Amino acid sequence: MTSVKFVVAGGFGVGKTTFVGAISEITPLTTEAAMTTESLGVDDTSLVAAKTTTTVAMDFGRITVDDDLVMYLFGTPGQERFGFMWDDLCMGAIGAVVLADTRRLADCFDAVDYFETRKVPFVVGMNRFEGSHRHSIPDIREALGLTDDVPIVDCDARHKDSVKSVVISLLEHLVRRAGR
Amino acid sequence: MSSQSDLVRPFVITGGRTRASDASLRIETMVQTNGDGIGGADFEHARILELCREPLSVGEVAGKLDVPLGVAMVLVDDLVAENRLVVHHSDPVDIELSVLTKMIDRVRAL
Repeated sequence: MTSVKFVVAGGFGVGKTTFVGAISEITPLTTEAAMTTESLGVDDTSLVAAKTTTTVAMDFGRITVDDDLVMYLFGTPGQERFGFMWDDLCMGAIGAVVLADTRRLADCFDAVDYFETRKVPFVVGMNRFEGSHRHSIPDIREALGLTDDVPIVDCDARHKDSVKSVVISLLEHLVRRAGR
Repeated sequence: MSSQSDLVRPFVITGGRTRASDASLRIETMVQTNGDGIGGADFEHARILELCREPLSVGEVAGKLDVPLGVAMVLVDDLVAENRLVVHHSDPVDIELSVLTKMIDRVRAL
């Protein structure tokens, strides 16, 4: 039995939990995990960034592929005010989805940085909320500083078919990378 | 289920241990019983053995037991050390093309 892990990241309230729930075969489970976060401020006396442990809830879903293979999707906790210390969660992930909201594009910068730095392949799912500006894909690519090979796809986390297409685009992205 | 975890500080169940000795356990690591049943196991361990008759991830164990992930890791680790749970190790670096294709077909069919 092999399990493969995908992570779903993005700013607070962007639809990560909805995304996982749309495609999971089980009711998404929630578990609490301790995360070490480095606070942004620097301690004046020691000049050492303070580390604190925060307990965060995260949701995850499951897709059973066959008797030998299970896919897990984990929603990363939105901790946009802190440095991202997701290493325990993301270690071994084969791919990631970064959900972005066109009204608050900057909220996903941390996630993009994180996966680029750790060389985790990812796609960007643009959650175009009603009434939001419809940025063009090239505009978004430029704003996020993404190279041409990173797929940017539309995503409405409330709709299963939309979520499926995002996950498939991630898997196809992995296929292309494997072929290189 | 939740009432218990509300009343007991989470790491009391683990005797205060917060880290599993086997650092290779991850949230998605699959574990399964060796088929010997639950005889002699205490309450929390017995529940894990019951849950893991079919392969289950450590994250699912935590979710179903309604305990923090770190607690589930320690308890699973105990059972692995006693050879009552078998770990299905997977190497995420070595995902073959055929496996990716299988996943694409499965997601399409959802």
